[in-house]
Amino acid sequence: MKKKIGVYICHCGGNISDYVDVEKVRQAVEGDEGVILSKTTMFACADSNQKEMVDDIKDRELDGVVVASCSPKLHLLTFRAVVERAGLNKYNYVHANIREQVSWAHSDNKMGATEKAIQIVKAAIAKVRNTESLEPVIVEATNAVAVIGAGIAGMRAAIELAEAGSQVYLIEREFFVGGRVAQWDDLCLTEETGKELITRLYDQVMSQKKITLFTGAEVIENSGSVGNFNLKVKITPRHFKLRCTEETLQQAIDVCPVEVPDEFNFNITTRKAIYHNYPSEYPQLPAIDMKNCTRCGECEKVCPNIDFSQKTEYLNLKVGSILLATGFDPYEPKKGEFGYGEIDNVVTFPQFKRIVHYCDDKLVYKGKEIKNIAYIYCVGSRQVDGENKYCSRYCCTAIIHTAITVKKKYKGIHNYHFNRGIRTYGKAEVWYDESSRLGDIYLQSFEYDPPVVEKSGTQTIVRIKDMLTIDKEIEVVADLVVLVTGMVPRQDNSIGNLLKVPRGRDNFFNEIHMKLRPVETVIDGITIAGASQGPKNIMESINSGLAAATKSFSLVNSGELALEPTVAKVNLEACEWCGKCDEACPYNAFEKVETGGKFIAKVNSAVCKGCGMCLPVCPTNALDLIGLTDEDVESMIDALIPNI
Amino acid sequence: MSIQKQMKTLEYDVLVVGAGIAGGESALNLADLGYKVLLLEKELSIGGKMILLSKVFPTLDCAACITTPKVSEIARHPNITIFTGAEPQKILKKGSHRFEAVVLQKPRYVHVADCTGCQLCEEACPVSVTDEYQYGLVGRKAAYIPFSIASPRAAAIDIDNCTLCGACERACPTKCIDFTQTPEEFLVKIKSVVIATGFELFDPLKIPRYGYGKYKNVITSMQMERELAPTRPFNTVLRPGDGKMPDNIAYVLCTGSRDKSVGNPICSQICCMYSIKQAQLLMGALPMADITIYYLHIRAFGKGFNEFYVQAQDMGVEFIKGKVGKITGKENGNLVVRYEDIKAGTVKEAEHDMVVLSVGVLPNQGISGVFENEELQLDPFHFVNQVDLMASPAKTSIEGVFVAGTASGPMDIPDSILSGGAASAETTSYLRKESL
Amino acid sequence: MTGGKVNNSPRILVFSTEKISDPAIDMAGLLKLHYPPTVYTIPVPCSSSIKPRWILHALEQGFDGVFIAADGTDCPYGESCTEKTGQLMSVTQQLMKEKGIDPARLKMAAICSVCSEPFVKHVKSFAEYLSKSSN
Repeated sequence: MKKKIGVYICHCGGNISDYVDVEKVRQAVEGDEGVILSKTTMFACADSNQKEMVDDIKDRELDGVVVASCSPKLHLLTFRAVVERAGLNKYNYVHANIREQVSWAHSDNKMGATEKAIQIVKAAIAKVRNTESLEPVIVEATNAVAVIGAGIAGMRAAIELAEAGSQVYLIEREFFVGGRVAQWDDLCLTEETGKELITRLYDQVMSQKKITLFTGAEVIENSGSVGNFNLKVKITPRHFKLRCTEETLQQAIDVCPVEVPDEFNFNITTRKAIYHNYPSEYPQLPAIDMKNCTRCGECEKVCPNIDFSQKTEYLNLKVGSILLATGFDPYEPKKGEFGYGEIDNVVTFPQFKRIVHYCDDKLVYKGKEIKNIAYIYCVGSRQVDGENKYCSRYCCTAIIHTAITVKKKYKGIHNYHFNRGIRTYGKAEVWYDESSRLGDIYLQSFEYDPPVVEKSGTQTIVRIKDMLTIDKEIEVVADLVVLVTGMVPRQDNSIGNLLKVPRGRDNFFNEIHMKLRPVETVIDGITIAGASQGPKNIMESINSGLAAATKSFSLVNSGELALEPTVAKVNLEACEWCGKCDEACPYNAFEKVETGGKFIAKVNSAVCKGCGMCLPVCPTNALDLIGLTDEDVESMIDALIPNI
Repeated sequence: MSIQKQMKTLEYDVLVVGAGIAGGESALNLADLGYKVLLLEKELSIGGKMILLSKVFPTLDCAACITTPKVSEIARHPNITIFTGAEPQKILKKGSHRFEAVVLQKPRYVHVADCTGCQLCEEACPVSVTDEYQYGLVGRKAAYIPFSIASPRAAAIDIDNCTLCGACERACPTKCIDFTQTPEEFLVKIKSVVIATGFELFDPLKIPRYGYGKYKNVITSMQMERELAPTRPFNTVLRPGDGKMPDNIAYVLCTGSRDKSVGNPICSQICCMYSIKQAQLLMGALPMADITIYYLHIRAFGKGFNEFYVQAQDMGVEFIKGKVGKITGKENGNLVVRYEDIKAGTVKEAEHDMVVLSVGVLPNQGISGVFENEELQLDPFHFVNQVDLMASPAKTSIEGVFVAGTASGPMDIPDSILSGGAASAETTSYLRKESL
Repeated sequence: MTGGKVNNSPRILVFSTEKISDPAIDMAGLLKLHYPPTVYTIPVPCSSSIKPRWILHALEQGFDGVFIAADGTDCPYGESCTEKTGQLMSVTQQLMKEKGIDPARLKMAAICSVCSEPFVKHVKSFAEYLSKSSN
């Protein structure tokens, strides 16, 4: 039982003290059993206060410390480090959350908030009285990282990790690398095309001995945890032995009778069941799409490298950390949304990019030359009624850049931008400026009053109430309507579900803290990069990929990890091995051992994750979680109920 | 040269120039991997502009709560040496993984290790001058602690304004004030350099028609930031003109941004969001106040930003699409804002009792001149040029020199932190190439 | 009802989970979504780690209700969480019946890491129920 407890109550510069009377809280707890020091402080986390705490712990020989401040997610580790610097074992520190769960949550009720803060601090004091010094569990960490997704962010992160010294498994679900950037061609702010950029990164990936690239590969099982994840990877065969000559490949493609929409071109073209996205596609080995192949065998006759005997392979990988760079899907408009799927000259932005790619001197779509183009912004983003409340960030700049390209590439183009307020942030402003100078027309509507696309005879008309001309109703006859579709999270979230990575309000993967830990997730050892975390342009994706690589590397680099010692423990006397704990444990942390003439359960603390699933199932109450014993919980409950 | 001989020589792996949030992130990452880092900060405290902010969008976390522990971690990291009040005079590339920098440390006239931050010198000092850390809202002494959560939290003497009366020396209980200190130059040998010199704020005196400097109740967004910060100079939000609590506040967005007439054609990327944030905070601090934001386009593009913008609209912040032409003062201190109301298609006037100019982000240009034998290229807007924007955004025109944060262009705090992480990653790769 | 009260609101003990529901409760604060200040939280690693005796202890010591902010299918420790939390719920409610405690004084709902609004809705309606049932 602790006898020398120090309690610090933080003002948080007003964030707490504007609603909670922190001095009253201090007075209410200063007489609690064991408390020999109680202080309020402007910022508990500030350097000066940390120093003061260290001095207090040393001078007053404190054996337990409580800080009542913000959420433990922000600063539990900060204050554990403080007590450790003062020579006190860090598990003698208890954190009380009186900001997120008191002052902010009850900013409407200062009396109630103060009362609640008092009880919460009392509960933390009750808990700290029982704490024990603990040593972390040291486990080996595999110096290898699985990077999932070989788009721009994943490839760049993989290169960085390999250069830093980790083994990297780069796992791509598609048969070809490059993700969305490979489909994008012209890029803003650089002469390099998407394909060229991908080629450059691919060459670097292949020159790194420490990177193993898997294509057509998916992670289907995961066990273990930070330091030692065991992944099972399913690898779908391409059904090609070697790269064939251009000639035989072309013959095989020609004879293939199957024709399906080409996803690489967002279904504006078709491809065969034997395919490669473009001739220089990486890896430079075509693939057969077995979902659509009829096994007619025609291709085998003309191309000797086709091999239908290849089987699906399964591979087990052991890695210390997982970096998710799974990217985004372009928003797919609903049928009838601005005429999509109903009016034949309404296309999405990604489709438009492919059309521009395939048209050399004239812009032609469905046999008709295009002169007047209407761009409708924010399709699938900033929705008033739909789920996607967020802005997709890249689209304003990207579409304006594309519109300029189109105007320069073809003769007689007229661009009409039906927008909701242009967001060409930062240096991209120059594109907006240039497009205006080139004579592009900008028309703006409110979120709740979007433009309308209609068919009138043979014409497609876009109508808007333009707020830039005092709500004048303006009509444009468009040869092509481009829906500027935003980014949405991957529809197939199987990897997120498998790894249990939580998603944010926008359904993208969620970071722990946007500013403190922007690339880490609540699942220890799993980092997130690129557009899987939220819409980003290429540079921003690369930055987050590199930042995530740094975090993943720091976890696996040293070869060992210190895990929390807050694991299950068995009360030897009470335990009468029944096996229920073993059944409940998701990690096989229990072992049946004989001791003192009876069988009891033994916990392997390197395997136990401290989830506590075993606790309620024990019929003799022989199990406790260190740091969350019956005494801990019940003394907190007692402290939360004021004596009357 | 004789100075060269007297110079103390120091050796580190990396020189990080600028100890704001981006430079700090880079330094911490590198130090955690075992590299020895020298972190230079020209101001008296580390933490950059962020440590002086109130709360940060879109989560409304208090800026100090995020910055101070990071600052504390940087300050006590065994692999990081910090020089405050210090700037590189020149940096020479001597070869692959070999740089030499001459660093000038200005005297603080205080022995930081002995200063307890008791503030007795401040009390004793008879000189009052404008406080630059409170962006001129209040005064400070010539012997002063920069601000309450500064790191190091130690006094300094502003020698330009000091009368050398000696009152502070007599008041100091630890005798840590030392007027014999002189500027010191160091020769620093490093293998790599990270530039994280941040940005400068646009000076609204360059747009005289907005009346800044002429009308006291026209202030900058950074001044409002200080009025709202936990370490704020007043205990509430006040008009500087007469100390009245304002109840009708206007924001003028794009002050010094997207404006070729002042030589800055680009968007500053942060002003829309910080203004919306301040508007939300003001509605909390002054529940009866009306807030109007005059804007051209709202750039609410980041994660959670658009939702934050919509939230401000729902809270009752008025958004008027229109360019502000002129601001004129009235006798009672109120201000008349003349603006083009784009929606109505006319020029209108509105009266407010306080106007906040949302000033933009400008490059901090000095750093390129420091590199003597190789050119540190700047982009057309005078930010540090990113030579491989799409694959290695931290790379500059000099191999081994990397850029982090707003030194390469406007960006918000989350992006600055990611960019700091990217710069440290690239620096790590570069350093490893030497050892291979 | 037992226990001292602020604003006459029932006292509710919430068992939140460190990685999933506690962040949502934090976010409720951040978004200033108000709920009664007589709602107290004890975070645990996983909602299937809550011992029935803790719940009974809370109810016997004076809490009017106990709310389990469960991980649901988001549990980082595995799929079985939902089922196991359900089991401990029913075991506890059985014990409550035996002791003559209204089983409706224990409530559970899955609260995901961003389910701040659902959390506030749940505790408010639970508080309402508890107020009514005590009259």
